[in-house]
Order: sequence, then C-alpha cells, then structure tokens
Amino acid sequence: MDDFASLVQFSIAVPIVAAFLTLFVKSWGRPAVQIVSVTGFALPVIFALFLWGFYDPSTPGGYAFVSNLDTGLEMIGVGLHLGLNGVSLPLFVMASVVGLAAGLFAAQSKAENLSRYLFCLLIMQGGLMGVFASIDILFFYFFHELALIPTFIMVGIWGGRDRNYAAMKMTIYLTMGAMLSLVGLIAIYVKSGAESFDLITLKAHLAEMPLADSVQKYAFGLLLFGFGILVSLWPLHTWAPLGYGAAPSSAAMLHAGVLKKFGLYGLVQVAIPLLPDGMGYWDNWIVWLALGNILVVGLIAMAQRDLKQMIGYSSVMHMGYAFLGIAAMSVLGVGGVVLMMVAHGLTVALLFMLSTMVHHRTQTFEMSEMGGLAKKAPVLAAFFVCAMMASIGLPGPGLANFWGEISIFLAVYDFRNWLVYAVVAGIVISAIYGLRAIASVFYGEETDEFIESQKEVPVEDMSWAERVPVLILIIVMFFIGFFPKTVTESINDALESEPVYAQVEE
Amino acid sequence: MGSELYAYALLAFPFLSATAIAFLFRRNGLVASGVSVAAAALILATALHIIFRLENFEFNVHWIELGSFSVSFGFLINDLAKLMLFVVAFVGFLVHIFSLGYMKDDPNKARFFGGLSIFMFSMLGLVMASSLVTLFVFWELVGFSSYMLIGFYLGKSSAAAASKKAFIVNRVGDFGFLIGIIMVFSMFGTFNLTSLSEIFSGDTSLLQTASVTAVGLFLFCGTVGKSGQLPLHVWLPDAMEGPTPVSALIHAATMVAAGVFLLCRTGFLMTVDALTVIVWVGVLTALVSGFTAIAQRDIKKILAYSTVSQLGYMVAAFGLGSLVALSGSGWHEHAIVTGGVAASMFHLTTHAFFKALLFLGSGSIIHACHHEQDIFKMGGLAKKMPITFWTFTLALLALIGTPFITAGFYSKDAILALAYQQDKVVFSALVFGALLTAFYMTRLWKIAFFGSPKSEGADHAHENGLVMTIPLMLLSIGSILGGFVWFYPEVLRPIIIIGEHLAHGENHTTVALFGGAAWAIGLVVAWTLYGAGAKEDRLERTVKPLHTLFAQKFYFDHLYDWYVAKIQQRIALTLHFIEQIVLSGLIVRGLAGITGLMGIGLRSLHVGNIHTYVYWFVGGLVIFWALTVGIF
Repeated sequence: MDDFASLVQFSIAVPIVAAFLTLFVKSWGRPAVQIVSVTGFALPVIFALFLWGFYDPSTPGGYAFVSNLDTGLEMIGVGLHLGLNGVSLPLFVMASVVGLAAGLFAAQSKAENLSRYLFCLLIMQGGLMGVFASIDILFFYFFHELALIPTFIMVGIWGGRDRNYAAMKMTIYLTMGAMLSLVGLIAIYVKSGAESFDLITLKAHLAEMPLADSVQKYAFGLLLFGFGILVSLWPLHTWAPLGYGAAPSSAAMLHAGVLKKFGLYGLVQVAIPLLPDGMGYWDNWIVWLALGNILVVGLIAMAQRDLKQMIGYSSVMHMGYAFLGIAAMSVLGVGGVVLMMVAHGLTVALLFMLSTMVHHRTQTFEMSEMGGLAKKAPVLAAFFVCAMMASIGLPGPGLANFWGEISIFLAVYDFRNWLVYAVVAGIVISAIYGLRAIASVFYGEETDEFIESQKEVPVEDMSWAERVPVLILIIVMFFIGFFPKTVTESINDALESEPVYAQVEE
Repeated sequence: MGSELYAYALLAFPFLSATAIAFLFRRNGLVASGVSVAAAALILATALHIIFRLENFEFNVHWIELGSFSVSFGFLINDLAKLMLFVVAFVGFLVHIFSLGYMKDDPNKARFFGGLSIFMFSMLGLVMASSLVTLFVFWELVGFSSYMLIGFYLGKSSAAAASKKAFIVNRVGDFGFLIGIIMVFSMFGTFNLTSLSEIFSGDTSLLQTASVTAVGLFLFCGTVGKSGQLPLHVWLPDAMEGPTPVSALIHAATMVAAGVFLLCRTGFLMTVDALTVIVWVGVLTALVSGFTAIAQRDIKKILAYSTVSQLGYMVAAFGLGSLVALSGSGWHEHAIVTGGVAASMFHLTTHAFFKALLFLGSGSIIHACHHEQDIFKMGGLAKKMPITFWTFTLALLALIGTPFITAGFYSKDAILALAYQQDKVVFSALVFGALLTAFYMTRLWKIAFFGSPKSEGADHAHENGLVMTIPLMLLSIGSILGGFVWFYPEVLRPIIIIGEHLAHGENHTTVALFGGAAWAIGLVVAWTLYGAGAKEDRLERTVKPLHTLFAQKFYFDHLYDWYVAKIQQRIALTLHFIEQIVLSGLIVRGLAGITGLMGIGLRSLHVGNIHTYVYWFVGGLVIFWALTVGIF
C-alpha cells in the first residue's frame, strides 16, 4: 500500500459522490448544486496535481500509488486494482483538468434540469478518472462504460440539432466498439491462462509464455478495431463529428478530450504490451486507415460549414497521427502519442467550449452566417485564435501539440520513409480549415444574419465566469508546452521499461 | 554573469511587454505603446551589449527528451547571428518609434504594439536559436505574429483574406522545412547546428550524396515560403494589407529575410546540386517580381514586389557564393563564413536599411495623403513633404544601386561579381533585374513626387512630425554608408568585409560597368517614359498584352485561386458527399436496414400459428436433407 494511494481512490469517488449529492441539494437551489458539483470537479484536480508532484519517475515502469480493493470476484481474477504509471499519470492529470473546465462551464449553463445534467457529467468524470487509474483491465473497461452511458443520455436529452439520430448512432457505434474490445480482452484472459485480469500479472505471465501467434493476431485485431471505433479510426469515424456536433458542449469536451483517449490508451498500455507480435499482422491496416484519417477526413473538414462539426472532424483527423505513432512501436512514436493525447485533450476541449461561447453570441454554428465577431468580442477572438493555433500545432500556444506531432513524425519516418510526406501534409490541411474558420467567424464584415441576430441578442465579450475555465485549459497547455520534460520524463521511463517499445529503439 | 543571461533578457523584454499589454493595458493604447517602445529600447541596448561586449558563445539546456529524440533550447551567437541581431534590434527600434506617430490615432493601438512585441520576441529567438527545432519553433511564431499583424484591420475582408493566405502559403513551405528537419535528425541524430556543421566538416564526402541534396532542398522550402521565393511569393504583396510599419519591419527588413538567414545558418550542408537549384529559384524570383513591379499602381505593392525581387538576389547570392567557395576558387581562408553567406548577408543588411526606409517613407506619404496608395493619384509630394522626399530619394538611390555613393551599389555589386565568376547567364539575368529595379523605382519616384497633386489627399499632404521623420533620417544614413566597411563597428565586420572583398574582386571593372549601365538605362528610360506626375501609365497603352501580364502578376494568383476553388474544394466537397451518402447513408443505414429486415423476417417466424410452425419445420427438414445428401 502506497502512502497516497487513497488519493487515487478519492479522485474517482469524489465526483461520483458529488453526483448523487447534486440530486439531494437540488431543493436548496441553483447555487448549492453549482457549489457541490464544482467541488466534485475541483477536488480531483487537486489530488491529481498532488500525485503528479509526488510521483517518482524512477519507479521502474511499475505503478505508484497502488491499492487493491476487494470486490468479491477474486476467484475469477477481478480486483479493483488501482495505480498510476508514467503513461497514465499525465492522462490522469489531464482528465481532471479538462473535467474541471467542463464542470465550471456546465455549472453556468442554461441547461434545463441543471442538477441532472451535472449528475451525468460528474458520473462521467468519475468513470474517466477510473479509466486511467485502473490496473485491472476489466475495471478499465467498466470505468469506460460508466463514462460512456451518461454521454449517450446527455446527447439524447440536452443535445442540439439531430440529437436523437446522433445519440442513436453514437450508441450503436460505441457499443459495438466497446463490445469488440471486451471480447478481445476476455480472449486474452482466457487464452493466457493467467486467471487474472490484472495487467501486471498478465504482463508477467505472458512474458514467460507468450500467446500463440494466431491468438495474438486475432485478439489484437479485435482490440484494434474495437478501440479503433472508439477512437474514430477511418472509416468508422462517422459517429464522431455528428455526435460532437449534437452533444452539449461539456459532454463533447469530456468525450472528445478525454474519453476518446481510452482506445489509444488501451492500445498503448494493454494491447501492444500483452500482444507484442499482434501489431506485425495489422500495421499495414493501421497505416492505410490512419492515412484516411489524416488526408480524407482532413479534406472533409475543409468542406464543413458548421463550426462544431468542423472541430469534430479536425479531432478525428488528429487521431490519424496517433494511430501512426502507435504503429511505429517505438518509445519515440508512442511517447509522442501520449504527449499528443494530453495536448489534444486540452485543445479540443477548449475549442468545443469556445465554439459554444461563439454560438451564444451568434445563435448559430453556421460559419457562413457569422463574421466580424472579433470587433464585438475581442477577448473571445483572442482565445479562439489561441486555441485554433494550438490545435493546428503552432509552437507557442500549441507547443505541446507540436512536441507530440514532431515526435510522431520522426518515428513515422523511421517506420516507413514515404509515409512522412503524407503525414506532414496534414499540417497544411489543418492550417487551411483552421484559418478559414477563424477568418469567417471573427474577421471581415458582419453578415446580415449576424446583424439580425444581434438585434435580439446583443453581443457582449466574455464574462469572467466564462474566462476562468478557458484560462485553466490555456495555462496548462502553455505549461506543458514550455516545460515538456515535466510530462515526458515519466512517459519516457514507463515506455523504456516496456520491452516491446524499447527493443525497437536501437 | 553568464553570457546566456543577456540572451534570455533579449527574449524576456518583448515577452513581458506582450504579456503585460495583453493582460493589463489592452484598453490603454498610450501605456501599451510606451511599454512596447521601452522593450524595443532595452532590446537594442542588450543586443548592442551582446554584440560589442560578449565573445561568441553557445549555450544549450535540455528542453525535451523522448526516446532517441532530444531537443535543446539554446542560443548560438556567432558573427552571423550578431550581424542579424544588429539589423533586427536596430530596425525594430526605429520602426517602434515611427509607429508612435503612425498609429497615434488608431483605437486598437494596444493590439498593434502587443503584436510588435510578440514579433520581436519570435524574431530574436529565431536569430539566436542553436538548433533546427528551436529555430523552427520561433520560425512558426514569427509567422504567427505576421499573420496577426497583417490581419490587424479586423473589419476589412481583404485583410482577413491576406492574413489567411500568408499563413497557409507559409505552411506549404514549412511542410518541406519540417520534412528536411526530420531527415536531418534521421540521418545525423542531432538538431544542433554546431554538431551538424562539425559532422559535415569532418566528412566532406557527405556533400556528394543525393540524400544530402534532398535535405538541403527540403530545408530550402522553408526559405521559399518565408522569403517569398517563386512559386510561394504570392503572399508577400498581399501582406501589405497590414499597417505600413509592419510592412517595413516584418515584410521587408527582417522576417522575410529570415529565409536567407536560415540558408546561411545551414549553408554547410548545401550540395552543388542543391545550390544550383537555389541560384535559379533566386534568379527567377528576382526577374519575375521585377517585371511585376513595373505595372503596379499601389505604392506598397511596388515596394513589395521589389522586396521579393531583392530577396531573390539574396537567395541567388547565397547559392552563387557557396558554389564559388565549393569550387575552391574563392575565399577558403574564411572557413566559417563562405562567400555565399557574406554576399547574401551583406545585401540583407543594406536592404534592411533602405527597404525599411522606403516603406516607412511610403507610410509617411500614405499617412499624409489620408490613406491614398495609388501613385497615379499622388504627385507633387516633393515640395509638400521635403524630409520624406529626401530620405525616400536616398533609399531609392540605394535600392537601384547608384554607383559609388550608395550602400546598395556595393552589396549588389558583390552579388554580380559572384555571378560573373560562376555563370554568365545568371549574371546577365541579374544585371537585367537591376535594370528593372532602376526602371520601376524611377517610375514611382517621378509620378508620386513631381508634377501636381492629383487627388484631394495628395493636395492636403504635409510633412509629419519628428517622431516619424527622425527614424527616416537615421535609416537614410545606413542606406548610404552601409556599403562601406568602415561604417560598421569592428565586431560586425567579419562578414561585411568579405562581401566588400567580393565587390572588389578581379573582374571588378567589368562588373561595375555592367551594373552601372543597367542602372543608367533603367533610370533614363523610365525618366523619359513618364512625365512628371503622370496621370496614367504609358506602358499600358503602348505594350498592352505585356503590361496586362505584368499587372496581373503573371497570373500566379489566378492559378492558385483556380486550384483552390476548382480542385481542392471540389475534392473536399466530393469526399464529404461520399462520406454522407455512402458511409453514413448506404452502409450504416444499410446495415441497420438489414437488421430491420431480419427482424421482420424473424418476427414472421413467431406468428403463433401452429400451421406456420409446421410449414417452417417441414421446410427446414427439406433443406437439411438436401444439404446432407449434397444437392446444394
């Protein structure tokens, strides 16, 4: 038992307890609900930062802050085994920060039944924290589902345009993806004969006697496509832009920013270490499908007229980089992916939040009906430009994203030379759609539609309540960009101790 | 105290200034401008301290490490960096001062000065960067500050379009630059410029390999984007949508020259093949934009194309000088500074003085003429704005390379001398380019300054205050004396002296003769062709088709617009359509449809009617029997 292990447990439990509390304090009025829920989001941040500060990067690949709770299912090898290693810790911190920003933003929203909305969001947050803290892969899966179900509910109830269709489509796709990966995880459990879902036990067991190649091949395929659907691998991505376009923004922030990383995280921490030979059978698949993510989806993003859908497509596009970095199977490539997951989580959450703030002022997501917003809301414009620049990997606001991208590019070049030309072309594509969006929303003259909508809803610049969640994300983004070592040291150590990644590094 | 502290300070002043303006003085233009100008003054002082008091040094600190990938944040201060620091800090400071007057009444002054500070931060970081990745980081940041300042006039759609274009076109160049950086790392395992140059000086056979040629050309893509070389030059003239001081500082003197600086920093890895390509890109750029400048009416557009053209000279100079050095017939005693670096940096320095002056002068004119930019609507400004007129004239004389008395003559002469030695075709092309320069600048000069005013704005023009004219006067000193070695302090001489040496090479008389002839012909032809304060362009009537070709900028913009609208956007829309219809429509709904059909089919199995079950049972038996006996 580690000294601070209980903080990991609290980070998961606090949002869930707060979720139920919001329902109880509802009768005390809106402020009580807001205070309880924001506390539920804020405490995990404090815990996570604390754990980050006390994490010892020298723990050799192993987990720190480990705890093992009884579940009564020990006879089938399931235990609530929690802990953090160098890869999961940065994501754990990122999840808490994005959660706080999303929570702060949701708490001031005009959603009907605010307490239920926050209830869903807090449950989701509890699940998210659990995903990255689980060492037991069945609980890893369970926490993902715990976070996923409130997403569907939130899209269906508080969603925007097409919410029913979007909720249905998201449910079908994501359940399918989750099922495939569950079958894959169970296959590993059954075939390994380790009689445990514990990742550390499984790893040790499989290092002694690896699975047969055919098993590795099929189990990896299941996990790849199962996780792939969850991460919006092309062409299984169509749920994402639609779903994010319809989802209420806090749900979109948490899903696109954090929950979506479940699949990548599963590949990095579970699938590849447990099935080291599996990748060999599938890497050509990944290469071609990920190119679809970057080039095809990138071009589709250019054709978007709806701001939120465009951001959705751009986030799908960035997942292509992540898949390629993973396919490279080196500390550099996979480390770049983890770094990018952290940076992308912050950035995309920021963009979804800011686009909703734009919507509050223009009453539309149609970019052709906006224009000239920068004059009326300069602060919003500045933040939006900053976020968009971060998203397209411009060093400065997007320094963290840039580090992730360049690591991936370098790894991809060593993996397949020719691939790098196609992949780097992505930086031009993303610049095109990103800057088009900025120009049509904020620059130029005001459109007639926008002038019309201002008569009904006068435009004001950002209030401080809006600025706080934005600033939280931006500050963390800048910090990681300028001091990347704070994150990369632990990632590097964790990956170096993983034989499957370290061996490629000669 | 370590030398690196001064380098850090150089970055800290503009950074703090930008941060303070963004968070504290956003609404207070007066304080914001004061903060920014103070930062610029401190930058100049610190830069001078680094240049004069400190030895060359390198300083690195680990920034990020991931697997084999390791980047250091650091500074590499050598002769080259010192010269560039001097240019950036000096011109930057004068432009800040000038802006105090130029932007006096602008309601968004704070944003302007904040942007200038961000630019200074990024540019200084770029100049001092010790590794390719750090350089790239600041390279992107200068691009961002340029983007921000081009789009300064938010309400103007043309400004929005221009800023977007600048950024995207630069990104196309950066695509190659980044691939070059990736290849460098994959081949040599380091990004550090010093380590790389040591690898290359240790193994000269590296310069024979095709892969190194590829690396050189990919890195050069960055230059093509940032320094407006063909075919990516299209963003630079449009960038004139920004406020004129920005055009002077960023889009004439410093940032656009960063591409040339990059070449100089990475000169050690340029092979003969790569250099030949570089020379020709530079020459073509110089000629094409020279021709385009002839037919422009907007004073800033003329100057912008002239900048593109002069950048072409610098790029060509780099290629020529390095080729001469590689062929061994040149200046081998200067191992670090080759002829290419010297010739291009010499011209970069003098150009920074006179082009910044020309832009500031045009800003002074535009300011006085109430934002009139068409030279055919000016006229008679010589009498109304004497200081602007005289300083502008000095800069103009320098740009067209007036023999013996101007800086531009010597720096251009050095380039021509190299070309003469290396390749006579290139030489003739560059001489002709010089003729074009003399032609279009004389045209501008005569039409805008002489004759009588042709618009109300020009009629009411009067000289601006000292805040705007003192920078002009200071820059005009550099425009004239910047060609002489003795003008520069001792520490800045190592590069300039080789540049001078080139200009006084063995073929000096021939080269100077050709250069002088080009100058004279261009000047005289333009002088006779255009009447003082002409109202319309005589070229337009006499050689209509050619004039149209030039006025339409060789149709580069048309080509790109056509590509974007007709190809790129159509592909995007088609893919979007396919995704909507095929992926989400047919396949996904189709799958759902199949499930639905199966549901209907299966439901009909459970009709609860005993006869139906019997039929199904019999049918199933038949199929089973048929399968077992092998009929199917």
